[in-house]
Amino acid sequence: MTTPRNIDFDNLKPEEFEHILPDLFATGDGKVSQDPRLKKFLAANPNCAALVSDLETIAETARSLFEPVAEPSDRVWQNIQAKLQEDTALASIDDDYIDPDAPLD
Amino acid sequence: MSCQGQMTQALPPRANPGLYKRNPPIPGEAEAIESARNGDPEAFAKIYNLHKRRVYTLCLRMLGNVSEAEDMTQNAFLHLFRKLDRFRGESAFSTWLHRLTVNLVLMHLRKKGLDLVSLEESVNPSSEDTPRRDFGSRDQVLAGSVDRVTLERALAALPPGYRMVFILHDVEGFEHNEIAAMLDCSIGNSKSQLHKARLRLRELLRNPGLSPQPSACPESAK
Repeated sequence: MTTPRNIDFDNLKPEEFEHILPDLFATGDGKVSQDPRLKKFLAANPNCAALVSDLETIAETARSLFEPVAEPSDRVWQNIQAKLQEDTALASIDDDYIDPDAPLD
Repeated sequence: MSCQGQMTQALPPRANPGLYKRNPPIPGEAEAIESARNGDPEAFAKIYNLHKRRVYTLCLRMLGNVSEAEDMTQNAFLHLFRKLDRFRGESAFSTWLHRLTVNLVLMHLRKKGLDLVSLEESVNPSSEDTPRRDFGSRDQVLAGSVDRVTLERALAALPPGYRMVFILHDVEGFEHNEIAAMLDCSIGNSKSQLHKARLRLRELLRNPGLSPQPSACPESAK
């Protein structure tokens, strides 16, 4: 992938812009629309500006999905509890284990 | 794909300022972790109740299936409780738990045969579902018309590979280098797949009636 620093931003073509866009979003804070190097290009290419605006809107809205929306059924915790109790019971058996071949005191 | 069975050992918890900011410590959590390490069942219940929604929502988004998401939530917490000693406090507890959950889900998907490196190729053998490369019309900008409900719906319609990278980066806040390590791909691949995922979401959001079926976008080109 081409790195943005190799690009001549003053003579950028839409195809080149499309090619470097993933890297432009990945660098800095992802605010491509506010990148001063692109000001002239975006003003001259409104479809590219619209694309950037849309992708920024999607990324910003995605952050709101971080807060959880769903809850597991009670069955999940019941299963976890049952498995943990099994673990405890097995550990207790291990603790009580007596080697039948060990010499008697 | 080569990282089956590596789980949390392969990806030790690392301090991540971005994630830590989004995962501030929860009051009472540290005490509950300490008590749970000593086998206190009430502490297990407290930790579960504090984190169940976040873990389940993450599983549900990544798997898109309630039954599988519940099974994976159960696995994640069982793994957590059994390996609690491995939490060394180098990152927020919830960050560590999310990483553990993501790794479990990825292992599950690999067992099901989903190749997470060749994302779009493995999920959609034809090239027809790849996002279109054109810039689209500027008179339909999304700002103001997209909210979490519409985005959630569009996200569910994404091919699983695209959805995975988008959730990990844009929703969960993982960096490209972390995603590359998780998915065993290059950082450039992670950036590229995220971009394609966003382009595909743009198409879905601009055309709400667009079916996720391949025939829905015959003009697309790889």
